[in-house]
Amino acid sequence: MRFSTLIFIGLLGALAAALLLGSSHTYAAQDREHVSDSGSRSYLAGTDELGRDRAVRTAAALLLGLTGACVASALASSLSLLLGSVAALSASWLGRLLLYCGDLFLTLPWIFLLMLVRSALPLTLPPVQSGVVTFLLLAALGAPSFLRLTHERVSRLDKQDWRLHAHAMGLKKSQSGSQLLSHLWPIFWIQFLLYVPACIIAEANLGTLGLGIAEPVPSWGNMVTGLQAAALTSTSHLVYLPVVTLVLVLVALELTIFGAKQ
Amino acid sequence: MRILLRLIRVLSLVILSVIGTSLLMYMAPGYFTDAREMDAAHAVSERRDLQALEQQQHSSTALLRSELMQWAHGDLGTSRQYGSSVTSLVRERVAQSTHLLVLGSLLGWSLALFFAVLFSLRSSPFADATVAITTALLLALPIGVLATVCLLTNTAGPVSVLACFIAARDLKLLHRLLSTAWLAPYVLHARAQGSPVFTILRVHLWTAHKREFLSVAVMSFTLALSALVPVEVIFDVPGLGHLAWSAAMNRDLPVLVAVTGLLSVCIGVASSFLPLQRSIEVG
Repeated sequence: MRFSTLIFIGLLGALAAALLLGSSHTYAAQDREHVSDSGSRSYLAGTDELGRDRAVRTAAALLLGLTGACVASALASSLSLLLGSVAALSASWLGRLLLYCGDLFLTLPWIFLLMLVRSALPLTLPPVQSGVVTFLLLAALGAPSFLRLTHERVSRLDKQDWRLHAHAMGLKKSQSGSQLLSHLWPIFWIQFLLYVPACIIAEANLGTLGLGIAEPVPSWGNMVTGLQAAALTSTSHLVYLPVVTLVLVLVALELTIFGAKQ
Repeated sequence: MRILLRLIRVLSLVILSVIGTSLLMYMAPGYFTDAREMDAAHAVSERRDLQALEQQQHSSTALLRSELMQWAHGDLGTSRQYGSSVTSLVRERVAQSTHLLVLGSLLGWSLALFFAVLFSLRSSPFADATVAITTALLLALPIGVLATVCLLTNTAGPVSVLACFIAARDLKLLHRLLSTAWLAPYVLHARAQGSPVFTILRVHLWTAHKREFLSVAVMSFTLALSALVPVEVIFDVPGLGHLAWSAAMNRDLPVLVAVTGLLSVCIGVASSFLPLQRSIEVG
């Protein structure tokens, strides 16, 4: 199941890329003569309240959301592995301090942290930079989630016979890092898979509060925010295309995680 | 000793939140500006007030000192946006948020428990698939998207949306817990002897798994606190979440610090009852 859902997500991404490259409209181009249109030959999924191609914007949001979430998840997992390893292999007081800080961080209200940092940024921040900052924030906030798990695994690995044998034969601790890394790969993969949908959901929630990626760059968040106006002025059900696509991607990711757990 | 450690943890959390919030807002561009400077009727007085504020809070240390001194005297400050006492603003809105949280949580827990018992009692591939598909669909919807769709289609209000959000997360955990619990030998024996389902639940399952049930309830309460902001903003409920969002958008530091501190205390107290830290879930 895991590979079939990954293939499905890959196909969605390929379709989105093909739509973006093949369409004559860009995601920011406005056609004021076709505002809030339902589907037609020129605009497959209709247009939004500014006359922008909805299908192209949904495709761009899908690619941006998936890419950003994958990068943020990879960074968060790497940071978590690094901090967990430092906590496990360094002095006990440092390890306890890192774990305590991680636990404290986890009990902070996340949505407030994201809101605060995002609203503290300049209003003139370019859209691409706001997207990069948003996903970097999510990466930083995701690292403490898996800190304890990584710490426990590294602590257990450190006490394995093969590691003790290697040290007895003269191998320095710093040299056995690559040996540890190969055993930590399954944890990295699980953390990565678990955090990708969380990043997508977090970005969508931030966007509905007006604190996500700035316009005109399309993202799940600002497309859902635009839904409020579009659904009232348009009679077509195609206005819900971004929501349907988002749900499909997230369900596929959930099934991938389910398959990985099995 | 354990209680003391938990109190220290909650206090550390509140102090960390207050300091972090204050520094972040202070360093944000536009802290010593106000939109009323562009209003000819209020420009002069507004600039005078902002200059006085800038002299009082000339550095981050001075800012933190003035904030903490005010809090020590029980004064949460004055809202820059509304011009009224932060205490009165918070007091007016606590009731709305508490009402939404309590009703949403109770409804969510009830729905989750009802369906978890129903589907775990008559375990079958159909029941497992129904639970998996329903929870996957509801979990796949960000709370902001769920609230927006419900608002537009006029199908549910803020309480129902919060209840669905909580029920989706609790149903998965409770179904897994109860599916295993129903297969315990003493439970099977009680069922074979003809004991009613409710009696088995009350006498056997609740007693044996009280800790897990309470952990699920506490965890969903902390999630509901995070979900409060998008729900109140989208449904325009005048609660603490809406106040915090408005304060973040308008850089109203005293309100933001007060609301963040209050919610940090709630989450810290609730989380201190959890045996293990929950994994990330935003919104």
